[in-house]
Amino acid sequence: MTDCSVVGTGVSSQFPGASRSRGALRASSASGTSEQNVDGEAIAITVFSAMRRWGLLELPIFFLFVRRGRDSLRILKELSFIHAARWSVIRRLPANGDYPERRLRFPRLYFESNFNGGWEEYIDAFSYTLTLGMWAFWGSSYGFPSALPPSPFKAYIRRNEYEAGHYYSAYPDATATTVLAALRVSPKVAALRAAANAMSPEQFAQAWSDFLRDEQRSL
Amino acid sequence: MTQNQLGQMYALTVMTPIDPTRAQSVRDILADLPRRPSPFARLKAAHFARWVTVPDFVTDPSQPAPEHLPGPYLLFSVTFDGLLDAFLEQLTASLETELQAIYGCCVGAPDPARGEPLQDYLRHNQVQTGLFFSAYPDATVETVMDALGVRQRTIDFAIRAQGMHPNELLSAFRTEF
Amino acid sequence: MPNLDRADIQGDILEAYGNRYLHSSYVFLTVGDEGEGRAWLSERIPQVTTATRWQGPRPDSTFNVAVTHAGLPALGVPPRAVASFSDEFTEGMAARAPELGDVGPSAPAHWDRGLGTGDAHVLVTINALSDDARDAALEALREGLGPYVHLSVTLEQHAQMHSNAREHFGFADGFSQPAIEGVSEDSAVGEGVREKTGWRPLALGEFLLGHEDEESRTDRRARLPSAPDDPLGRNGTYMVWRKLHQDVALFRSTLREASASYGDGDEAKLMAKVVGRWPNGSPVTLWPEAPPAQFDARSPGANSFGYTDGDADGFGCPIGAHVRRSNPRDSLGFEGRLTFRHRIIRRGMPYGPPLPANAPGDDGEDRGLIFICFNASISRQFESIQRQWLNDGNIFHLGTDGDYLLGGDGGKMTVQGSRPFLLSPRAPFVSTRGGEYLFVPSITALGAIADGVAA
Repeated sequence: MTDCSVVGTGVSSQFPGASRSRGALRASSASGTSEQNVDGEAIAITVFSAMRRWGLLELPIFFLFVRRGRDSLRILKELSFIHAARWSVIRRLPANGDYPERRLRFPRLYFESNFNGGWEEYIDAFSYTLTLGMWAFWGSSYGFPSALPPSPFKAYIRRNEYEAGHYYSAYPDATATTVLAALRVSPKVAALRAAANAMSPEQFAQAWSDFLRDEQRSL
Repeated sequence: MTQNQLGQMYALTVMTPIDPTRAQSVRDILADLPRRPSPFARLKAAHFARWVTVPDFVTDPSQPAPEHLPGPYLLFSVTFDGLLDAFLEQLTASLETELQAIYGCCVGAPDPARGEPLQDYLRHNQVQTGLFFSAYPDATVETVMDALGVRQRTIDFAIRAQGMHPNELLSAFRTEF
Repeated sequence: MPNLDRADIQGDILEAYGNRYLHSSYVFLTVGDEGEGRAWLSERIPQVTTATRWQGPRPDSTFNVAVTHAGLPALGVPPRAVASFSDEFTEGMAARAPELGDVGPSAPAHWDRGLGTGDAHVLVTINALSDDARDAALEALREGLGPYVHLSVTLEQHAQMHSNAREHFGFADGFSQPAIEGVSEDSAVGEGVREKTGWRPLALGEFLLGHEDEESRTDRRARLPSAPDDPLGRNGTYMVWRKLHQDVALFRSTLREASASYGDGDEAKLMAKVVGRWPNGSPVTLWPEAPPAQFDARSPGANSFGYTDGDADGFGCPIGAHVRRSNPRDSLGFEGRLTFRHRIIRRGMPYGPPLPANAPGDDGEDRGLIFICFNASISRQFESIQRQWLNDGNIFHLGTDGDYLLGGDGGKMTVQGSRPFLLSPRAPFVSTRGGEYLFVPSITALGAIADGVAA
């Protein structure tokens, strides 16, 4: 996507050579996306895509399936570079002032994520590890080229991506894995502190050693 | 069929139309917002927030016909702790100036764009979330930040503690924590 | 099976010339006149060493040519062709400093004169069996440049193997390389991609342009990866050249101090844990306590290891150790799908005199490593490794801990174990003294450039 303030005329934003490494959202930082989408380690991605109407049936069912399933988003958790993400279907725009309510002919799938790492690596990871999942989300969207091979998929996301005007993270220097590690280890430290009141130095030395051994992956 | 909530977290998405003659103003206001700290830092409950200007929808070449937005729109998205109403109260109270400037440029927004009327406007334009993923849905911002602090202090302590004699270790631990 | 036209591919890319080439000289040239540049290039093409297997004795020296982005128009390559090269190559390494972590003492402002400024147009690499052979080759190069008053040498960097084939920190290096389809399939176990059905070599196109890469495999139309327009792209590759200064005295003193509180105070073991191999090259994951007396890093099977079976917890080779970061093998899960697009072919040589083992401190000499790698995509391969695996730890669930051996960001390192040990953040042991992104054209492409038909 080039600066979206220029693309606003409904002309297709498919630029020649868009499928090459030349992403129009200039990678002006190590994140591989515009600086506007970055706050410390946190990276924002915002995507709208036009859906075929059958998506109005498929997506809610897929969402329900994922919500009810015990571990459907397991892979997202394993990839562990996503803080939070959401998908929404926009069918209508409510009335506002002079704008009447508008039912969209092509409902839009809204996707946003707050993640760490790099834009390219993020989309690649989805391409390679969640290939079928990508179909479930974007299969009904016009122009979705399938998640593999990765380059056309990345070009597709770029064409439909919007740059943030302002992006905020409450803990910008912490990645998702660090947050999870902190949430795991913090209660353990508290428990150790409480137990330390009744321990001799030798007992504590042992307890501290056990704590390090058990929690080393969270530190 | 919606999932605005997961654990104690809420995913709020709002799409409001921007008065086309004020679109550049909105872009300018957003560009001029301070970062580190962002105005959103005043909200204890907000994990992540973004404002995105959407000049128009993208038309994919394979679409049978283009579909344009009636004008530019402003997307507002927040991931926060707790319930919507309480959050909107906090939001309009803590970012009053910024919100008034930004939403003052939006079509159908109350004039002045603040307080309860603004909360109603945002609710009116809320997009229901279909699927919400959070890596730590039960943790509040405060919990996360406390935990990050504890983790860092534990690391620093663990490095210092290497080679300490048990007596020194226990008293140092008690002092640090 | 890829079609390998060895006579068209420059040498040392797919297969290393080998350790008998003890001396390497890197001569960067500035081309002040495109006619002279092309004429000179035209004269050199017959002597460019290719990937053709040698019949008979190996040559005394080898000769290879690479070009920077600035060098393309300097040689008269037309703008449209120049624009077909990748973005990161076009920007150049100096402009990519933030991406690469080249900040602080490693920032381009502190680089050696001539590097990262756009003055370097052509890189001539000479590998030689002996210093006499190297001197002869350099003399011949200078003679060849003689008639061309508008061609000048911007920078000359010499490097040479140490007597024990170690780099300056004392570690045997450079033998772990990706297993490539049609070239080095024997090393697929450990050096290829580990899938459900077993290990397989990587697609040729990950390292050589004009051939199917891993993405082509998943593409119904088997499109070839992005490359400069023909005839420039095919059988060429992108090259990364970096001069990395090593503060050997600081490395030794830091590790000595840290080892005072490490387990049984075994400094050598702590160093091996930081690197991921013992000085003789044996991997710490296979020999966690002490190195084997004999280890031939080049023997078949020496690099056929993974980490997932038996060392997932990092108790053998720490999860943040240098070699585990720069080549995670099977340790990121998902059947290697998070790693297999980020492999590089590494070459390179130490430069500068060794610091004697008993030296009390730094002697002020410039020493380090000339790091070279080849890849089809600098951003997806080299830069990704640098950004995601070396300068950061998040993908390994190590937070912001960077590679302790290279350092710079001041992150800590955890040596996992039943009694884990933490190394505290400190000043970097390695700093970047300069570098360039280059393109290594095929023989055909060199001819096209020389003939002015690279349109």
